Amino acid sequence: MKKLFWLLVAVLVMSTALAQQTRLRVFVGGQQRPDVMRKIFDLYQSRNPGVRVDVEVGGATSDQQQQYLTTVLASRDPSIDVILIDVIRPAQYAAAKWADTLDKYLPSATRQALLQQYLPAYAKANVIGGNLVALPSFADAQFLYYRKDLLEKYGLKPPVTWDEAIKQAQTILAGERNPNLNGIGFMGNISEGTVCSFLLPIWAAGGDVDEGGKLVLTEAQARASLQFWLDLMDKHKVAPPNMAEKAQDTIRQEMQAGRWIFGTLFAYAWNRFQNDADSQVKGKIGVVPLPRFEGGRSASCLGGWQWTISDFSKNKAQAYKLVRFLSSPEVSKILAIDASNLPVFPSLYRDADVLKANPWFADALPVVQAARARPVHPRYPEVADVMRKALNAVLARIKTPDAAAKEVIDGLRAIYR
Amino acid sequence: MSERALAIWLLLPAGLLLGFVALYPVVRLIYTSFFQFQLTLGPEGSFIGLANYAAAFEDPRFWNALKNTVLIVLITVPGALLVGLLLALLANLPFRVKWPVRLGLLLPWALPLVFVGLIFQWFFDSQYGVVNDWIMRLGGERQFWLFKPDLAFIAICFTIIWKTSSFVALILLAGLQTIPKELYEAAQVDGASRWQSFWRITLPLLTPAILVAMIFRTITAFQTFDIPYAMTKGGPGNATETLAMYVRVTSIENLNFGYGSALAVLLFLLSMVITVIYLRYIRGADD
Repeated sequence: MKKLFWLLVAVLVMSTALAQQTRLRVFVGGQQRPDVMRKIFDLYQSRNPGVRVDVEVGGATSDQQQQYLTTVLASRDPSIDVILIDVIRPAQYAAAKWADTLDKYLPSATRQALLQQYLPAYAKANVIGGNLVALPSFADAQFLYYRKDLLEKYGLKPPVTWDEAIKQAQTILAGERNPNLNGIGFMGNISEGTVCSFLLPIWAAGGDVDEGGKLVLTEAQARASLQFWLDLMDKHKVAPPNMAEKAQDTIRQEMQAGRWIFGTLFAYAWNRFQNDADSQVKGKIGVVPLPRFEGGRSASCLGGWQWTISDFSKNKAQAYKLVRFLSSPEVSKILAIDASNLPVFPSLYRDADVLKANPWFADALPVVQAARARPVHPRYPEVADVMRKALNAVLARIKTPDAAAKEVIDGLRAIYR
Repeated sequence: MSERALAIWLLLPAGLLLGFVALYPVVRLIYTSFFQFQLTLGPEGSFIGLANYAAAFEDPRFWNALKNTVLIVLITVPGALLVGLLLALLANLPFRVKWPVRLGLLLPWALPLVFVGLIFQWFFDSQYGVVNDWIMRLGGERQFWLFKPDLAFIAICFTIIWKTSSFVALILLAGLQTIPKELYEAAQVDGASRWQSFWRITLPLLTPAILVAMIFRTITAFQTFDIPYAMTKGGPGNATETLAMYVRVTSIENLNFGYGSALAVLLFLLSMVITVIYLRYIRGADD
């Protein structure tokens, strides 16, 4: 009888302990190494016995994830507490009031000190209208990947300007006479990557889309960008005529098969080139910042992922603690080593363990530091649609750069009014 | 309890379920379409009457999407009907080995639309696609199927016809098998040719089945989304964007639920009008 009594007590204690346990549900994308994320959550659980973290894995692209999240958040569903969002989304989350602002947990002095530790672009991308909407998880940027072996063969140094890149591509193409080899690969289909393609020449020439929330892009700048990519196909002959159907991963696969001299791709490509069993270019790929124009500046398109707390979460305080852990240098280092994600802390690019796992991160820091954010605007999806459709239409040759540039400016004016 | 009351009680669960899953969303959609409701401008909407509809009529992208949708209907409905009829007649022939024809009938019908779109995207890829391979082996020029507006339209319509004609064929096959064999035998005795018995017996007796197939095919054609989305994403530019795709971009990507709802209501009205016309026809045919 006594035994039964103690057993009953034990069961009661355990069940209240279970009831006190907070369960947090975290949403991550399918391409973001849910296995590594799980490992990080396990670490958090072992240090915080009162918290259980469940992972919900979403689609493999930013768009697919957001389609699902839009349904969840627009219906104010409280089931998800913490979400990993693309760097282009904080403004949208802030405007729709989907994200809990983090300022109430952070005195302004602490906030300042915290944000200064990150790469400056991320501190900027996550503060919307003075409110801190999210904290960075890992970085990403567009790089110029080049074929080291081919450039060495022709005694060329990695290009600094676009003119050099074009000339080098022409030299190598003329020398190799390989019909399967192409010059400069870039995204031109209807996708987010094509937005970056549209913006690169504008940034490389010193321009931008908006400043302080005001539209500053001119028709001439837009036209020059569209003309630049069209010229790579038609005038300089360093890209095949079907760039309008090229997605980022198509370029990556083709470069991996040895079909491109240069490719403008995000960071994920590096590991595929080095580690994939079918890679024809192992050890033959180099990485440099994207070229600039004569008199302009080198600019890359900023990517990366941020942790935000759903405004509909019922465990915001616990979620905040988790987010602080997830955006800490410790987790950034785990993500760098186990998932090859670029760190958001500049110091980790010199960390011996990180460099042992990813020697090329040493070259990546200047690129990430020079990366520029795509327009920060609550209606960003519409901004992006205008830009990618314009470049795609020009590459498909159904619109002239003149006509498309005018449409870009008209379309953006309607959004920025 | 009277029999009538019992009937009402028994029907109530089904009625409630139907009301919940069918009626409520439609009413809610129409309601939302009268609001300026875009989440990127804030979480609350405001009533603006018919302004969303007025905006649609002045929106060139709406007219472009409408034009594309109507073109797809006009091309793929007769196309699928013709191919489907041929397939059904083929399947109705007394072959000894029936499975190849049956498989050919069922496979396109069983494949999910997005798969079909992705498969044909590869077929029509300008660099790696099998279509260009055939063309170039025959001495033709490489064609940019998916980013020349006309060619992209042809590729999409071809794919839709391939995918949907088996559905039409299945309905028509069912119709064909209800036609009594005696009619053909009698016609043969009277000296009618095969062609004559097709025109005088098969086609008239198949008309109800054809109309049913046409209704279903037309409504789904108005809602065309998956195949062009997978093949071209509406590109080049907006050249192959359908109304359903524009509704998705507006609501799901741009979070403009008010305007998206108005566009969806317009699409709904369009399908309604067509259905009513067809239904009139069927009643007329029955009388």
